Amino acid sequence: MSQAATYHTTVSWKGEHWGHIRMGNGPEMDFSAPPDALGHAGVLTPEDAFVAAVNTCVMMMFLWSAERFKLDLVSYECRAEGTKLIELDRTETFTQVLLRPRIVVHADSAGREGTLKRLQRALESAVKYSLVANSIKSKLVIEPEIETIPKA
Amino acid sequence: MTNNPNDDIEVTVDKFIFRFPIDLRYSEAGLWVRREDSLLRIGMSDFAQQRNGDIAFATLAPTGAINLDDEIASIETVKVNISLPSPLKGTIVEVNPALQESPELINQDPYGKGWMIVVQPENPERDLAGLMTAEAYSKVARQQAQAELNA
Repeated sequence: MSQAATYHTTVSWKGEHWGHIRMGNGPEMDFSAPPDALGHAGVLTPEDAFVAAVNTCVMMMFLWSAERFKLDLVSYECRAEGTKLIELDRTETFTQVLLRPRIVVHADSAGREGTLKRLQRALESAVKYSLVANSIKSKLVIEPEIETIPKA
Repeated sequence: MTNNPNDDIEVTVDKFIFRFPIDLRYSEAGLWVRREDSLLRIGMSDFAQQRNGDIAFATLAPTGAINLDDEIASIETVKVNISLPSPLKGTIVEVNPALQESPELINQDPYGKGWMIVVQPENPERDLAGLMTAEAYSKVARQQAQAELNA
């Protein structure tokens, strides 16, 4: 359905290499650049925010698709890694975002194969329907680690 | 609207391309019907499968009598649940067993391996006459797609 929605954030300079961000959904925090780019440690950076946007969006979409595929999800944890390329002209691009989700689902031995198939399709749908994944030009790579455990 | 080498009608709306084989008939609800001797095979059109998204589950009506507008399939996609009404009256003589384990066949091959049921119709001429040609349905699909794009 082609419907539009808008989302907002507001940033303001706090002096030196510090900023403050107000998210449309409520939270506020200080941010900076990474320490190797003349920023500060211990706070949000644009680089982390980009990688986090992909990671959080795919996870939220996976939670939704896991429900739709009737998966009995036990746990989901995903480390995301963004790869930055510095070009000859000093411009920089995230060329790839690698997601390594570790997913545990309940499945009995008889239904394990079907569960794994549905889980794979749920992951594919999570990426397909992820707003952020659809909006980036970086290559998105998923390397899942999946475990099934019997329900007690 | 163009005809591709397979004699399908192709409709492009925005970035989406919908395919409609010309030898089929179509219902308003997005089902296709193919005559095979005295039987009618039924499935979901390319437009309907694209519009509703990745299919997680397809529950088909069992073999037996079916009336016009009875539910022939309940479809659960990643985005929506839909109920598909029968476009004709008759007896379901076969359901696609592959859809239980692989409902994604409807997305991957809507006019082939993704077929849903086969019906022995009471009056195939009457039933087919009440359905749309590919050309007519492609116009309906285009209108529905454009209405969604402009919503």
